[in-house]
Amino acid sequence: MRKVPIERLQEWSKLGHRTVLGETLVMLGADYPEMVTVTADLTPTARLTGFKEAYPDRFYDVGIAEQNMIDFTAGLAVEGIRPFAVGLAAIVPMRPAEQMRVALGYMNLNATVVGIEAGVRFGPLGNTHYAMDDIAVVRAIPNFTIVSPSDPLQVHKALYAAAEYDGPIYMRLTGGPGFPIMYPEDFDFQIGKAIEYRKGSEVAFISNGALLGEAVAAAEILQTKGISVRVIDMHTVKPLDTVMLDKVFSENKLIVTIEEHSPIGGLGGAVAEYKAGFSGTPKQVFASLGDKFQKLGDHAFLMKENGLTASGLAALAEENL
Amino acid sequence: MDKKITIESIEREAAVMRRHVIEMGYAAGGRGAHFGPALSSIEIVASLFFKVMNHNPLEPTMTERDRFIQSKGHACLSYYAALVETGYITKDQMYTFKGDGSFLSGHPSRNMRYGIEISSGSLGNGFAIAGGMAKAAKIKKEKHKVYCLVGDGECNEGIIWEAAMNGAKSKLDNLIAIVDRNGVQLAGKTKDIMDVDLEALWKAVGWEVLIVKEGNDTASILKALEKMKNSQSGKPHVIIANTTKGKGVSFMEDSISWHARPLNKEDYEQAVSELENA
Repeated sequence: MRKVPIERLQEWSKLGHRTVLGETLVMLGADYPEMVTVTADLTPTARLTGFKEAYPDRFYDVGIAEQNMIDFTAGLAVEGIRPFAVGLAAIVPMRPAEQMRVALGYMNLNATVVGIEAGVRFGPLGNTHYAMDDIAVVRAIPNFTIVSPSDPLQVHKALYAAAEYDGPIYMRLTGGPGFPIMYPEDFDFQIGKAIEYRKGSEVAFISNGALLGEAVAAAEILQTKGISVRVIDMHTVKPLDTVMLDKVFSENKLIVTIEEHSPIGGLGGAVAEYKAGFSGTPKQVFASLGDKFQKLGDHAFLMKENGLTASGLAALAEENL
Repeated sequence: MDKKITIESIEREAAVMRRHVIEMGYAAGGRGAHFGPALSSIEIVASLFFKVMNHNPLEPTMTERDRFIQSKGHACLSYYAALVETGYITKDQMYTFKGDGSFLSGHPSRNMRYGIEISSGSLGNGFAIAGGMAKAAKIKKEKHKVYCLVGDGECNEGIIWEAAMNGAKSKLDNLIAIVDRNGVQLAGKTKDIMDVDLEALWKAVGWEVLIVKEGNDTASILKALEKMKNSQSGKPHVIIANTTKGKGVSFMEDSISWHARPLNKEDYEQAVSELENA
């Protein structure tokens, strides 16, 4: 297995997913000569300056034009180049949704679209900059794989996995400064294969993105009350790891899906759609941003408002047991 | 392609392609076809496939082939007719156009076995993808060109201009767009729907622009294509070709209603008669 930069984890945790992205793209540039980075005027924001300086001939800024960014990316991919297109999660899957459908999805191209600052990470910038529906938009497009990594090292490993993956990927990045380290050592990461992070028999928390830390903390709160909680890191929303879900359906009594996204069309929706095919499965409740636009506030405020904290998740589970 | 190709031989191929357009469109029955925009673009597509482009039907994925992107994908019948006449598609396959299970959809679907480079027809996107393909050729230091057929109505799309700006910025001098300016779009004349000065717009975004007054005249369009192919301007190139919608079939010419519709037996027979006696 390729050696991962464990020595960077503390810094990556401190600085958040953008730094992991920027540094990992530079590493990918060294390891994959056919790999390029495309953006739409987001170079400093997405921490792409390092890549731009290291590989000026493999870095393309198409200007503030996200639709063209996706089609340009598709044109590169058609010809065998490996593009990583980087944009804001609030803008990129939604505005060029049609380009993602007809160019990347329909032609099933090997390209990765990275959405940074997903969910309500942009807090004070307001609702125009919140990505609460990005997974829903992409999930409806055939051929797309959707990955929402849960910690700094997983972001790094997911980007590496994307560089060798067949078909288009939407990589949804959450986890700002203070991004919890959930994997302090190297671990087995495969797109489409969920990780049983914690064993437990009653409640099953199925989470993705940076909320894994809150999910584990909530499980510990419940443990003190004698409630056994399994925690599943469902980093890949599409395709779902149905083998893992089948285990949960047969072994747990309550499912709580946990995501920084709308309850419609995201991880919770995907689990519910799969679950609908079976009788006698556990009840599912949704911890999410709700089907609503948000109040203005910083990220911590919005997480608390929506119950996406350890205590909020624990309370939700307890109420529904 | 073969050096013995002459303007007259391309004109003969164009005439056969027009017949193929009518045959395929008639075979589609009540499903209809976009006759007008296919017929306006025949000389452009014929000149590309029979003279200008380097390609080989026996090796559709040949690295050094020139790429053809039909961004105005609704006009696919002119593309399919060229693929039939150059040997990518058989005549039997041609008659499956728009049929259940056929690979010849009403807008092109990527299929490299039959020389179809990309899926197009969602307007503007083919042109923007062509920009990425031209950039890829630059990255890989390949010498081929990317030819992209765009509609004049299609130039209403914002992404055309996003991609055009980026093409100029990226100095994609291996990208040659041809605007099939037939003056008619789905719901009316282009001057009534969105009256713009295309020449000024393309120049403003930094492209080398050439106007062809008679875009259905093979000699004129061929001359323009060869000129742009050999241009040393360092800019991406666009040929704005004035054409006639529905060219070659009297009742389809300059007609809004023949942009797309089914062809009945009586009209089919008249169209065939006109094309045979042309």
